[in-house]
Amino acid sequence: MVSFLIRRVLQAGLVLLVVGLVAFSMFNFVGDPIDNMLGQERTQADIDRLRAQLGLDQPFVIQYWTFLTNAAEGNFGVSYRQGRPVSEIIAERAPATLELATVSALFAMSMGVILGIFTAIRRKGVLAHVIMSASLIGVSLPTFLIGILLIYLFSVELDWLPSFGRGEVTQVGAWSTGFLTSSGLKALVLPSITLGLFQMTLIMRLVRSEMLEVLRQDYIRFARARGLSERTINFRHALRNTLVPVITVTGLQLGSIIAFAIITETVFQWPGVGLLFINAVQFVDIPVMAAYLMLISVMFVTINLIVDILYVAIDPRLRT
Amino acid sequence: MRRIISATVVALLAAQPVSAETFRWAGKTDPQTMDPHAVNSAPVLGFLNNVYEGLMRRDQNMQIEGALATHWEPIGSEGWRFHLREGVTFQNGSPFTAADVLFSYKRATLPQSDVASWFASVADVKIIDDYTVEFHTVAPNPIFPDTITNFMIMDQEWTEANDAAVPAKDAENYATRHANGTGAFKVVDRQPDLKTVVEPFADWWDEATHNITRAEYTPIQNPATAVAALLSGEVDMINPVPTQDVARLSHNADVKVLEDIEARVIMFGFSNQADTLKYTDDAGEPNPFKDPRVRMAVNHAINVDAIVQTIMRGSAQPVSQLVSPAMRGYSEKLADRPAYDLDKARALLAEAGYADGFSFGLKCPNNRYINDEAVCQAAVGMLAQIGLDVELEAMPVSNYWGELRAGNFDMYMLGWSPGSFDAEHPIRFLVTTPDPEKKLGSWNFGGFSNDKIDALLPQIQSEIDDTKRQALLDDSVKILQDEAGYVPMYVQALLWGARENVDLVQRADNFFILRWVTVN
Repeated sequence: MVSFLIRRVLQAGLVLLVVGLVAFSMFNFVGDPIDNMLGQERTQADIDRLRAQLGLDQPFVIQYWTFLTNAAEGNFGVSYRQGRPVSEIIAERAPATLELATVSALFAMSMGVILGIFTAIRRKGVLAHVIMSASLIGVSLPTFLIGILLIYLFSVELDWLPSFGRGEVTQVGAWSTGFLTSSGLKALVLPSITLGLFQMTLIMRLVRSEMLEVLRQDYIRFARARGLSERTINFRHALRNTLVPVITVTGLQLGSIIAFAIITETVFQWPGVGLLFINAVQFVDIPVMAAYLMLISVMFVTINLIVDILYVAIDPRLRT
Repeated sequence: MRRIISATVVALLAAQPVSAETFRWAGKTDPQTMDPHAVNSAPVLGFLNNVYEGLMRRDQNMQIEGALATHWEPIGSEGWRFHLREGVTFQNGSPFTAADVLFSYKRATLPQSDVASWFASVADVKIIDDYTVEFHTVAPNPIFPDTITNFMIMDQEWTEANDAAVPAKDAENYATRHANGTGAFKVVDRQPDLKTVVEPFADWWDEATHNITRAEYTPIQNPATAVAALLSGEVDMINPVPTQDVARLSHNADVKVLEDIEARVIMFGFSNQADTLKYTDDAGEPNPFKDPRVRMAVNHAINVDAIVQTIMRGSAQPVSQLVSPAMRGYSEKLADRPAYDLDKARALLAEAGYADGFSFGLKCPNNRYINDEAVCQAAVGMLAQIGLDVELEAMPVSNYWGELRAGNFDMYMLGWSPGSFDAEHPIRFLVTTPDPEKKLGSWNFGGFSNDKIDALLPQIQSEIDDTKRQALLDDSVKILQDEAGYVPMYVQALLWGARENVDLVQRADNFFILRWVTVN
């Protein structure tokens, strides 16, 4: 078990290093930050001086090495655009993304499971057909378009919900939260639906097909024969057996909710790390891009590591 | 449905008492810093013009008027003397004197500053007394006051006390997120990328004509979201409005679109120096664009009116030279563009020995100017009519300038907005032969070179007499037009959107000046 763990952690570390190397080799193609940092009246001398000062005249491998050695000391550099430490900016922006991701995940899970059960039990009903067709639209429309459509319906036409931003936030220690004010909660509605819609349809379809599968099993038939109520059969016997694969998939999807937040955050001007990343790409803010990409890969690698460990804990055959 | 809802909204609004509450506006990018000397870009200077002030400021028509200086005069041909306004205080209460001007000058000319080029001609700055300052220049400089309208004065005491005497480029200092100007508004809350809040400065020296009690700026990157926020009344003003939304917004009774021409001229430039074309070799040697007749043929083949009408949807104005008519030194006499004339273009090409045309590469940005890529695509089609086979390569602006610097183009698109709002500016940066030593031609990527224009530039820079200066400028424009060194196409439009109850002034430099805002 211990040797397995060590091996897994080492592999995870290697993955991180490779991700960083690929990221740094890509930065050359994103463009040149110098033009964004200097004004119209800059001279070639200004360009050369700033480039040397930032170490951009070095090959990317050396830039990467500098980044790694600084990162090892907890220093992720200074943003080219804002001139502030990257770690400070990310810490400031992370709560917005995490709150949004949490609410969307909860929305996707609860609505996904409820609608999944409904469409499975009433699979011949008109409403179930409507929901299934609508979910097809939900899956095929791009996030960007869904966001804009929701904004036009609920902000412009109905004037119920804000079209952008986080509303009023409250500072709890270092964490800024939108959960404590009504405008903060209102602001969460549209972005959470936009971000969670895809996952919701995914979960819904998964629950539905699992449920249909389970409902065909012999023990359900025996339960019916015993004269148990439909409710007991559906919720106590069928649903429980359905949820195992659903939970696995949802866990893995949590990472992609955070990663996909980029588009939703751009549409709703949601001040999270995704929007920060988009800004960084446009400005060629290399320290911010590097830190964001490393953060996201750390997250994915950690989730996978935990899943691997859980499998080992569950399945004794893997413990050798 | 919609009508009922908007009627309800109107009724609700009418029911509420009119009060000057928080004014909210949104732009595409956040000003990177609150430091007036660290970044020379329109979002930063435009925002800070509400907080800091220069010796002079520009009025609603871009004319110069006194701000921290009440009046000024040339000292013979040696420079300029500025008489400072008395009784002005900074927002922290400390008095404004000549020492602050000298301090700000020193700070703005440090290597870390991004605005040092404004003072390229300055040899020395002398304090005569507390309210008189002299800027001595190496040669007569008639447009020096125009050049430094965005040179903002900082308080020496405050800046030094907060350890911000050096502008910060790749680090943060106190002045990055705090401001202490003499202007009409003071920054009360600054959250980079989220919002910046200003309130009127009670002890401002001038009489306030606005009725704002508090104003909040938010960057909204996605244009569709910004339009939605304006329509829903969450913001009172947005800049810019996407061209495709202009018609729709104009038909909405709650909002209005303001349109005026901007300072930025969009043009095509050529690779004038390379021996052969970069992209293809069917033209052989020499590079066809070395021949002015070929450049002129391109000029005649591009239907600027059609581009303005269809792609820009009428929101642009054709232009014949490198500055817009709103700029000082614009050549009225040479305002006609070469006619759109395909026969003439073909004849010119034949005369130059390219009767069958040739192929070449066109470089364009795709996120820098309004509809930039679409305009380039249109140009490709237009040039095909005279037998030029153009290969278009469009790319994001972060990659674009590097490509131009490396000379990877045969023809390219460029937009230019003169920082000094004067016709001399594009000559210095785009037209004179590149010379890093003298800091000339630093944006002349194609290496256009003309001895006469090179000789005219120093004369233009030092001619004090306005009429003579205009004649020199006219000469240079005439040469550039005859040589077709660039193909100036149109001046971009400023497109702002505002709620119907907001009165504001749209200035040609795209600066949004809060003290001209009235909320009715």
